[in-house]
Amino acid sequence: MARALSYLREIVNRRRRRRETHEELLDHVERFVAQELRKGASESEARRRARLELGDVLPVAEELADRRPGAYLEALGRDLRLALRALSRARAFTFVSVLLIALGVGASTTLFTLVERVLFRPLPFPEPGRLVRLFETSPERGVAHTGVARGNLAAWRSEARLFEGLAAGYAMGRTLSDDQGSEVILTAQFTCDLFPMLGVRALHGRTFSNQECRRAVYSGAAAPKGADPVLVLGHGLWTRRFGADPSAVGRTVQLERRSFRIVGVLPNDLWLPEPGVQAFLPWTLDEELNHDQRYTTAIGRLRAGVTAAAAESELDAVAGRLASERPETNRGWGIALLPLHEHVTARARPVLLLLLGASGLVLLIACSNVALLFFARGQARSRESALRLALGAARWQLLRLGLFEAGILAALGGALGAAFAGIALAWVPRLWADLPRRGELDLDATALGFAVLATLLAALIAGALPAWRSAQPDPREAFGDGPRTTASRPTQAARDALVVAEIALTVVLLAGGGLLVRSVSALQAADSGFDAEDVLVAPIFLDAQGYDSGEKSRVYYAQVFERLRSLPGVVAVGGATALPTSPLGPDFARPVWPAEAGKHDHNVKQASIRIITPDYLDALRIPLVEGRGFSAGDGPNAKPVLAVSETLARALWPAESAVGKSLIVDYSTSGTYPYEVVGVVADVRFHGPRSEAQSAVYFPHAQRSYLVLNVAVRTKPGAPPLAAELRRVLHEIDPQKPAHGVSRLSDLLGATFAHERRAMQLFVAFAAVACLLSGLGVYGMLAYRVRQRSAEIGVRVALGATRTRVVRYVAGEAARLWRGACSWGCSGRWSAAAF
Amino acid sequence: MTDPDKSLDVLPGTLDLLILKTLALEPQHGWGIGQRIQQTSRVFQMKLGSLYPALQRLEQAGLIQAQWRQSDNNRRARYYRLTRLGQKRLQIEISAWQRLAAGVTRIVEST
Repeated sequence: MARALSYLREIVNRRRRRRETHEELLDHVERFVAQELRKGASESEARRRARLELGDVLPVAEELADRRPGAYLEALGRDLRLALRALSRARAFTFVSVLLIALGVGASTTLFTLVERVLFRPLPFPEPGRLVRLFETSPERGVAHTGVARGNLAAWRSEARLFEGLAAGYAMGRTLSDDQGSEVILTAQFTCDLFPMLGVRALHGRTFSNQECRRAVYSGAAAPKGADPVLVLGHGLWTRRFGADPSAVGRTVQLERRSFRIVGVLPNDLWLPEPGVQAFLPWTLDEELNHDQRYTTAIGRLRAGVTAAAAESELDAVAGRLASERPETNRGWGIALLPLHEHVTARARPVLLLLLGASGLVLLIACSNVALLFFARGQARSRESALRLALGAARWQLLRLGLFEAGILAALGGALGAAFAGIALAWVPRLWADLPRRGELDLDATALGFAVLATLLAALIAGALPAWRSAQPDPREAFGDGPRTTASRPTQAARDALVVAEIALTVVLLAGGGLLVRSVSALQAADSGFDAEDVLVAPIFLDAQGYDSGEKSRVYYAQVFERLRSLPGVVAVGGATALPTSPLGPDFARPVWPAEAGKHDHNVKQASIRIITPDYLDALRIPLVEGRGFSAGDGPNAKPVLAVSETLARALWPAESAVGKSLIVDYSTSGTYPYEVVGVVADVRFHGPRSEAQSAVYFPHAQRSYLVLNVAVRTKPGAPPLAAELRRVLHEIDPQKPAHGVSRLSDLLGATFAHERRAMQLFVAFAAVACLLSGLGVYGMLAYRVRQRSAEIGVRVALGATRTRVVRYVAGEAARLWRGACSWGCSGRWSAAAF
Repeated sequence: MTDPDKSLDVLPGTLDLLILKTLALEPQHGWGIGQRIQQTSRVFQMKLGSLYPALQRLEQAGLIQAQWRQSDNNRRARYYRLTRLGQKRLQIEISAWQRLAAGVTRIVEST
């Protein structure tokens, strides 16, 4: 320990020791000189003899300094200072290199953080590995994952032993009103055990108490019971609408014309059961326990040590019991469990991984460019290096200087890159609205650690190779008239390899981008069964309180349609309870079977229920395959009719026409009745071009007036935008019923492949940057080469070479590089295509 | 006075012994040590490049210690003195040298 301390003391006192040594040695010389003078020599003679007999002071002083501890550090410090000075003199080089490295490090750090946070980090709940999402599944009906029916869930809750908790809920758009105005938000109703199960505590106020959950806040269209119900705000809504004011807790707002008291605010956005949920309401499972309306989202927490498989089989046993007790509703239905984490992140996974790869390639390309710059610089300094070598410098001292320069540049670039990444991460939530877990992005120790690694990699690629080459200068250069006209062959080979690698990587990126562009265009061009151009969509949610009779809602919608039809440029106005690709509206399936054949296992089909107005098919240009659509004649007192989708028609009546047949629909709350099939509607890919065509039955709105209707307005192409007019009309008819955001159907359709489109955009951006970088790199290198060989070219011209020959000669160099690069790039492309 | 033509280079390794013995007599500065060795041996000549590295080496090994003092002619000088460790080492080196010298002499004087 004492040794270490004295060691440290020595290093700190180095400069002082140096002076002392000098003083001591000079003293020695002076005494010798004095002695000689006493012997009678002259001053100059004495000094000459001193030099002869004693030796020179300076080399001895140097040697003594070298033998003392800290000599090495001093040398490093000297090199560092030298490197800094050299860099500050070459400002353009430094600026460009730092920027390039910053670009590469910033992009890769941003994407690494995205991938790490969204895909790999566990959800921000205590023991998130035990959280699962539950689905009902029926392989024989071709249903892989669907929502859970309340009655089934209640049975699971009471019998499942392997679960610590099972919460259930569903999401619905509702109108929020207070003195600031009205807006439609997505609310989620969940049983009270959700928040404790997830370990989520309110930021301000509290979450629900058990009493609050015993009351049904909304049960279908029934009237509310009890005193002021309560509401918990999501973080986003609190920030946006209530200005992040803690005193929002305790305020009263209106939700669908009912008063709700805000009792708490959540610390983060909780996007359950689906993205975009803004507020939470309490819910109870104790009422209306049906077993076949499967739309509830169930989330559970397994007991410690229980595997998902074990829990699944336990629940399967319960499901089996239910199936034998209630065969009409539960036969053939089982349970599927999915870890909550997987469920949340599944869609974003391929996109993010793809972009991570692209950013890595950009990093490599940027670093190669810096390496090329270094090479050029090394070339310019080759004479100086050769001289130093000739004067006795060790090779690796030359290397050290180059490495220091690269290290300083990389450090600066890395720091700047980390700053870029921080900014980018702050912007991502705004630009990528449907990225799961986007509230959890920030630059933390892991991200910074990655940035450091990326910086080291940058330093290595950008600096090591050129530094190594620059430490091998040809000593003959020290005696020549100037630097060589061309670099030595190994240096040239190294440079060429870099350029080839750059171009190859760029080709891979371009190819990948091209593939993505092609697949996105295919999606955009795909036929989903309807025409999404020039259609505005406005979902309207009438509430049971204001519209407590079917008549009132019919009158309302009749008014709406009439007013909308009279707007300029409108071709058709229709409405449906659920519109393709529109996320709002009741979307559920019911069993149907042909009346004559009777209900048997083999001919009962699940069909999605859609209630539409007569002009709906025109508004969306969904073709009618057979029969007729609905008309004014299909009124509330007329014969009950419906239309079926093509697939369903073929499935129910394979050999004959469906028109005129009688179909029984089990619409449990209102009973099981036969309906006459009046038309067959073409198939619609309801969730966008990549989804399957659904079996659906369509009811006329006049016969089954539903409170919720998505209004679709088709305008003439080129007509002026009608969104504001639409809103005005709705406001005039009922100010408390604004539409939930007027959107264009083409935008909604695009949103179904938004992830792919985003991936394509970002990937193409990366590819463009890579192109630019490698283009610059190749150009710079060729220009440099040409300049260097200007002497040689001059000789060729003097010997009679024409301009074209010279150009061809230079181009030949470039072509050689391209050939090599393309072969590499193409092999990379095949692996990218496989992905 | 040493004759430059007749001076010998110090055998490697023996310089330490010479310095330690010189300092055993009294603390001394670099010049003094060099003079002492030159005058007493009548053979060796001290160059800066041999004396001072040896002094630094001995100092770093903890065998001698240095201190700045006012010297006889009122100038500042760095005085070295033997440490206890150095004293012990001196005894070891002396006996080693004597054995070596005796051995060499025996061979040289044998017939």
